[in-house]
Amino acid sequence: MNKLLEIKDLHASIGGKEILKGVNLVINEGEVHAIMGPNGAGKSTLSAVLTGNPAYEVTSGEVYLKGQDLLAMPAEVRARAGVFLSFQYPVEIPGVSMTNFMRAAINAKREYEGKEPIAPKEFLALMREKKKLLELPDKLNNRSVNEGFSGGEKKKNEIFQMAMLEPCLAILDETDSGLDIDALRIVAEGVNKLKTPQNASIVITHYQRLLDYIVPDFVHVLADGKIVKTGDKTLALELEEKGYEGINL
Amino acid sequence: MSEIIIHSGETFEKVFLNESVNLHFVQEAGSHVKIHVLNMPFDNSITRNIDISKQSCPSEATNNIVVEQVGEGCSTEIYALAYLHGDESVTAETHVTHAVGGGTSNQLVKFVLADRARGSFIGDLKIAPDAQKTEAHQTNRNLLLSETAEMRTRPQLEIYADDVKATHGASTGQLDDSALFYMQQRGIDKQKARQLLVNAFMIDVLNTISDETLREKLINTLDSDL
Repeated sequence: MNKLLEIKDLHASIGGKEILKGVNLVINEGEVHAIMGPNGAGKSTLSAVLTGNPAYEVTSGEVYLKGQDLLAMPAEVRARAGVFLSFQYPVEIPGVSMTNFMRAAINAKREYEGKEPIAPKEFLALMREKKKLLELPDKLNNRSVNEGFSGGEKKKNEIFQMAMLEPCLAILDETDSGLDIDALRIVAEGVNKLKTPQNASIVITHYQRLLDYIVPDFVHVLADGKIVKTGDKTLALELEEKGYEGINL
Repeated sequence: MSEIIIHSGETFEKVFLNESVNLHFVQEAGSHVKIHVLNMPFDNSITRNIDISKQSCPSEATNNIVVEQVGEGCSTEIYALAYLHGDESVTAETHVTHAVGGGTSNQLVKFVLADRARGSFIGDLKIAPDAQKTEAHQTNRNLLLSETAEMRTRPQLEIYADDVKATHGASTGQLDDSALFYMQQRGIDKQKARQLLVNAFMIDVLNTISDETLREKLINTLDSDL
């Protein structure tokens, strides 16, 4: 089993306030890790720091992606190297069409990999194939990125982009929030179909519900900026039943 | 400034590219005016074989547009876009008067200012006491790309009729950081992400150009920067 991501004693803050207080985590290829925890524990901060969000400051610690120093890379290089974040709140970008946005993203990745820009025909075929996977409408291409999308469409659009970019590490930040049961099923099935022995995902969620669909190999409890408990999928069930207070952290 | 009289039922439509325009329209009943005043970098080849008024990009331009609707049921559309760099400076002034009723006017004025560029918009909109059932809209949106760019805006509405629909809005802002990060998270570098957002800001003005060939050439010029 190859090590994909290694987080060592990671500390991070925003606006001078320390949120992550020493996170340690190793993720191997082929694994699904769920991160649960109460509000304010640092779950979204962890995803922001891993993806290079400039609002957060890493104060100490190390992160390696396939042995490379992740924290030394600018945000866009981390993305090209295969780190993908499904945003909790996908951003609306009026005036930028999904086609232009996706083409720019795909070609940035291809350039990083030393490949030629994608041929227009191939690009459109890929868009069509991946839209089908997420049951997204054909007219998506000409719509502005996330503009006027319903909550469900926005989350489907995140997983659609994940399908287009084929990341090695996908971080799903509360992808289940705001989804009805049908959208949840489509999104979860999409994620499951994208799973390979070479990639891995981090699933951040409040609820056991999503983990019925995306079954984790490990469940971690993040509380007050640290991983305080790790178990298998039964830990999520226990949490659902007893709450964070009841699991004897 | 010489007056251009647009006779009843006539339509005047034109795109002005990179010049200082000084126009005074007098619109008779049921006439239409639709103009685009663009101050932006462009590739000379885009204007080949196209009927367009253009000059090379001046470092300073003053655009003065006066419209008087003197007959009923006229329509006026004014679109202005300035995309300025370095020490370039553009002033846009519009003076639209609805002297009689039943007319419409729509103004969309956008500035994108980089480096030390300066922009200025003065928009006078007057609806006379007799100009009932007038519908008039004025929108000014500005994007500052640097700390040293400067925008001044002064919309001025004088409405003397009571049965009218009139809206106006002016705002000046910067690029959306959350949108920039979203694009970077998809692998798009910051410079390209900025250009995508700038183009997105300008595209609704260009989309209103009726001449399809010119419209597509201008939009392609923007996209070719990417």
